[in-house]
Amino acid sequence: MIIISCVDDNMGMMFNHRRQSQDRVLRESILESAKDSKLWMNHYSAKQFSENNAPQINVDDNFMSEAGDGEYCFVEDCDVVPYLRWVEKIILYRWNRRYPSDQTFPIGLSAGGWKLIHTEEFAGSSHGKITEEIYTR
Amino acid sequence: MKKTVRALLPLFLVIGLVLSACAAGNTYSLDSIPDYSGSSYVAVNDNQPYFSDTDLTTTSLESYSNLDGLGRCGVAYACVSTDTMPTEERGSIGQIKPTGWHTVKYDCVDGKYLYNRCHLIGYQLTAENANEQNLLTGTRYLNVDGMLPFENMVADYIKETDNHVLYRVTPIFDGDNLVASGVLMEAESVEDKGEGTCFCVFCYNVQPGVTIDYTTGESTLAESYTPAAEGVG
Repeated sequence: MIIISCVDDNMGMMFNHRRQSQDRVLRESILESAKDSKLWMNHYSAKQFSENNAPQINVDDNFMSEAGDGEYCFVEDCDVVPYLRWVEKIILYRWNRRYPSDQTFPIGLSAGGWKLIHTEEFAGSSHGKITEEIYTR
Repeated sequence: MKKTVRALLPLFLVIGLVLSACAAGNTYSLDSIPDYSGSSYVAVNDNQPYFSDTDLTTTSLESYSNLDGLGRCGVAYACVSTDTMPTEERGSIGQIKPTGWHTVKYDCVDGKYLYNRCHLIGYQLTAENANEQNLLTGTRYLNVDGMLPFENMVADYIKETDNHVLYRVTPIFDGDNLVASGVLMEAESVEDKGEGTCFCVFCYNVQPGVTIDYTTGESTLAESYTPAAEGVG
């Protein structure tokens, strides 16, 4: 599976059971990345995409157990660690901002031997600079 | 648009004063806050703000308390939206000296200066510049590690959704101290009833490595300071 997550400068993802931030342009970018595959997510994340008519989205609260090889998983509020052995690639979107967080991205990228193979910056709808990073084993 | 908001200020001030009594007096006490232990903030009231359902409004507003008898600022309250956010670069605030103000530098402080003029409601939310009712003597740590991440989260939520956020910052002074022990920050997004953003936290007005006399604002380098032990929020 291919993990997609959004993080702030401290690798934070959530605070008080809510995502730190969101961005319409970023959502479109995620949908574009997964247009020829399946994009799995839970009901919490699916609400964020409710205005997008996106046939690639599959909603299941146990979605990381369901995702197959090469399929995308948008991870916001759930723990990816139990599924780490099946993760082929990580796409990380950095907000380039500092937010409060009480849930952080749990995968140690450098310690875990992940290699950064691609970096790209783009302007979001409400974020001046979002950085996309792609990691492989 | 901001002028419209200001025209309605007297009405909202009355509302805000009632709310401030609720937040700062009846339901909130410094006694319930644990001592600083490495995190720039601590969640209060299970991270749920003290707003009531009737407070939730989609009318943009701002209110700031009159300075008290010691010259200290009080509750700042706003319904923040794109209407209240800045449309121009921030102006100078250096002429304001909030209670307990000292211009003092330490090598262990980011940017050297111990104290910042901290906006109670950040400039990026309500575009207030040299408003003495909205400025507090706060440590660099309070300003950057404590309050700013919360302001960023609220500002970016509003910019993305065009929704409103009810927002209140209450400086907490212990007795007649001139420097606040910290600030209570509360926020709740209005249109989605807190689903988008919602928090209630106390941010500590401390600076790792520096000992502060909160009665006057005087300070000394802490004897036991080790940079490795410094916590960040």
